[in-house]
Amino acid sequence: MLAWIRALASRMRASLSPRQIDQEFEHELDAHLDMLADENVRRGMSPEEARRAARIRLGGQTQLKETNRELHGLPALETFLQDTRYAFRMLRKNPGFTAVAVLTLALGIGANTAIFSVVYAMLLKPLPYSHPEQLLTVFEAQPQAGVNATGWSYANFAELREQNRIFSDMAGSQQHQLTLTGRGEPSVVNTSVVTPELFSVFGQRPIVGRPFYPEDGKPGAPAAVILSENLWRGSFGADPKVIGSSINLDKRSFTIVGVMPAVFRFPILTASEQLWIPLVQDPLFGSWMDRRGGHWLQVTGRLKPGVSMTQAQAELDAIGARLAKEFPAENDGWTIRFVPLKQKIVGNVKSALLVLMGAVGLVLLIACANIANLLLTRATSRAREIAVRTALGAGRSRIVRQLLSETLVLGLLGGLAGIALAYVGVQGLTALMPQDLPQLNAIRVDNFVLGFALLLSAVASCAFGLAPALFAANSNLQSSLREGGTRSGESGNRRRARSFLAAGEIALAMVLLVAAGLLLRSFSKLTAVSPGFDAQHVVQADISLPRFQYSLPQQWAAFSEELLMRLQSEPGMRDAAVVVPRPMTDGFVNLGFDIVGNPPASAGASRTANYVSVSPDYFRVMEIPLRAGRLFDQHDVAASPRVSLISEAMARIYFPNQNPLGKQIVFGFPPDIGAAREIVGVVGDVRDVALAQDPGAMMYVPYAQAPFWGANVVVRSTLSAASVASTIRRDVQQIDKDLPVTDVAMMKDTIDATLAQPKFRTFLLGLFAAMALVLAATGIFGVISYSVSRRTNEIGIRITLGASRNTILRMVLRETLMLTGAGLVLGLPSALAASHLLGHMLFSVSANDPATLAAVAFTLGLIAAIAGYIPARRAMRVDPMVALRHE
Amino acid sequence: MAGDKSEILQGTLDLMVLKTLESMGPLHGYGIARRIEQISEDALQINQGTIYASLVRLLQRGWISGAWGTSDNNRKAKFYSITRAGRKQLQAEAQNWERISAVIGRVLRSAERG
Repeated sequence: MLAWIRALASRMRASLSPRQIDQEFEHELDAHLDMLADENVRRGMSPEEARRAARIRLGGQTQLKETNRELHGLPALETFLQDTRYAFRMLRKNPGFTAVAVLTLALGIGANTAIFSVVYAMLLKPLPYSHPEQLLTVFEAQPQAGVNATGWSYANFAELREQNRIFSDMAGSQQHQLTLTGRGEPSVVNTSVVTPELFSVFGQRPIVGRPFYPEDGKPGAPAAVILSENLWRGSFGADPKVIGSSINLDKRSFTIVGVMPAVFRFPILTASEQLWIPLVQDPLFGSWMDRRGGHWLQVTGRLKPGVSMTQAQAELDAIGARLAKEFPAENDGWTIRFVPLKQKIVGNVKSALLVLMGAVGLVLLIACANIANLLLTRATSRAREIAVRTALGAGRSRIVRQLLSETLVLGLLGGLAGIALAYVGVQGLTALMPQDLPQLNAIRVDNFVLGFALLLSAVASCAFGLAPALFAANSNLQSSLREGGTRSGESGNRRRARSFLAAGEIALAMVLLVAAGLLLRSFSKLTAVSPGFDAQHVVQADISLPRFQYSLPQQWAAFSEELLMRLQSEPGMRDAAVVVPRPMTDGFVNLGFDIVGNPPASAGASRTANYVSVSPDYFRVMEIPLRAGRLFDQHDVAASPRVSLISEAMARIYFPNQNPLGKQIVFGFPPDIGAAREIVGVVGDVRDVALAQDPGAMMYVPYAQAPFWGANVVVRSTLSAASVASTIRRDVQQIDKDLPVTDVAMMKDTIDATLAQPKFRTFLLGLFAAMALVLAATGIFGVISYSVSRRTNEIGIRITLGASRNTILRMVLRETLMLTGAGLVLGLPSALAASHLLGHMLFSVSANDPATLAAVAFTLGLIAAIAGYIPARRAMRVDPMVALRHE
Repeated sequence: MAGDKSEILQGTLDLMVLKTLESMGPLHGYGIARRIEQISEDALQINQGTIYASLVRLLQRGWISGAWGTSDNNRKAKFYSITRAGRKQLQAEAQNWERISAVIGRVLRSAERG
């Protein structure tokens, strides 16, 4: 055994330097000849005679060298190289076949590689933090109320951090935007409000300066801020001397203490220009720190090494129970849950990505079936060649090996072309990718993805090459030789295999088409759905008020009143209003409420509605209809009785068979906790959460009675968006030159942007389905064309015997439709199973929507009929004389 | 069966080369060929070149080693010598050979008698 391994190793070494082996052996033989000749001379021969005798004694030198070379070489490798050379020659000889096969495969491999590069970057690669698997997001949950995952109050978080023994450290964070002034134009920066431990939890050090220390988190500490590298480079000229200098956030001074490297992004969805401040310094959340009841702090923890998920959950359960016992008023009914940080980040894109991966997988399968079909066809016409090789002594395995080498070469060519396509595809994908997808890692074709593509090409080559190769090697030698090159010599097995492949392609294409059709229908319904308001010609803008300067609700109300007065006096901008929060683009605020005179809601069936604060003209601007009662007007001010409007859904749900007008509701939201509000009107329903979500209960209050520290302005105008925007900017800056106006956009566009993800996946799946359709059509075309050319003779006889051309046409089309029908029957159950995987992505379309199924079946049938009609016409035109001579 | 015959011959030749190197010490190809011819008293008339295939096989298995040197009459030649693994192999093969030839001899003799 050892000797055998040594021999193989020696052969492998030798095969690397064949020329040197040859030379050395030649020297050795020369020496041998010389010595033989010397001896012959000693025996008395003449020098020439001595040499000739020596040559005879040694034996044929060419043969000796040949043997030597063989002994040193690797026979399997050499056969492989020989096969590969031969394969290249065969492929060059059939450029049409090669081009079609390589192109088909390139499409399949390219699509797979491109999608895989996205899957790899988003799902497979670890998060860009050290030991990311230890990072968990920890939630509070109240299962009875249907609250599955929400944030923490700072007080509860502090207890959790103190009491637990499973996390090496944990940090809380929240995000919002603050206004940065004192450096040119006022701008709005994404701000993460964090507890000081954040950076150590993620194991990341600043590149300049220091991280936050525990003292930074204590009340009364000097206000510190840490910049992101991109903000530092973009707005501070990457100057290391900024450490120690100060900036103004919401008009309050903060000292820059550090800069975090660009690789560190937390939260990961935020733009790369951001900054971090200690929670205690935040104008908004800082004041909430000592209130235990809220649920707003996002908590991330790093598990100690070796702590299992079960241990973690047990410990959190215990702490949750303790909190509920110690502070029942705030914590009764609440439990603690967690998910790995990665799962939280990629959770909602995972299923869509997997569906796309499955779709491209199907495309590749169809491509393989197509190539297998081509190969089968070609193997038939090569039967004679293979028969001759067999007759000359090639073994079965030798033939299979040679044919497989051909397909492997084909597969690798296709793979290379596919990789080139994938490079282009990835660029297209990243350009089209919705902004709100978590791009944890750069999406590109890197070595891992390349390896995947090559492996895929190899597997694909085997998939489409094996069956044809086995068929070819099995063919009956005698009959092949006898039938020679004629086309009629084909076994029934092979014909059945080909038909099965074509039907399979139809079936696979059907799965993809049904999925794409469902997504398309769902998407068109989504875009057609009325949100309950008219976003056309509405410009929106966001003005945030610095919370240290504008700290009183009266100031907020005064600001918006002044702004609206100025805006409405501008020409063409009479329809202007403020609203917080905007439908769909801002988050929604869901509040519990009680109805005066009704018993308080029980824990299980609480009354909630989405709360919106608006100025009186809002309903006119948005064209939300009034159904009963009155709208708000200029008399509904802070000093007048509290009023509210409710949506039709709210009237239906909470005031069934009653007139809600005149009823009073109470809810606890600042600034007037516990005040009773009279319902003065009912307005139309609005989809305020998302287009795909049915309108729920909503209640509106006058902005003057419930102002916010900022205002979203909406203006309906026939003027251009740009001129509306500049007017808003000018008016805002006339009131306060330090106020930034952000997020200026056509409302229609921002609503369309919420559809970016469904649009993206619908587009991609549609693209893949179209590829599948084209591939399946070429598959059908190939099979029918081949069948027609094989039957030319038969068709000729039929025509001679009086068959009409229409009969021939029908005969060929029948074959096509049989294939298609078989494919549809095969595809239907798979399509239904697959479309159920789409379930949650569908909007008001059932997963087994009969209209989609019928449309897909019809499309496939039509395309197949066209693919079959072309060869059928050729069959119809067969000249019987030519056909009979054909044999 | 042509293949089988050459197989036996190959093995025999390999064995003879090994034995020659064991008893004579390092030798070049020509020397080995001459020695085998002498011992067999020229009964074994082979093309001298055939021993080179044998040498390559033995080299590859690590039973002999080869190095370039200078012959008695000052010619550059490749000298082969037996390795430790080669000696072990030779011992095993020689025993094997003797056992087989003894068995074959007995069989042939009994056949004569019978």
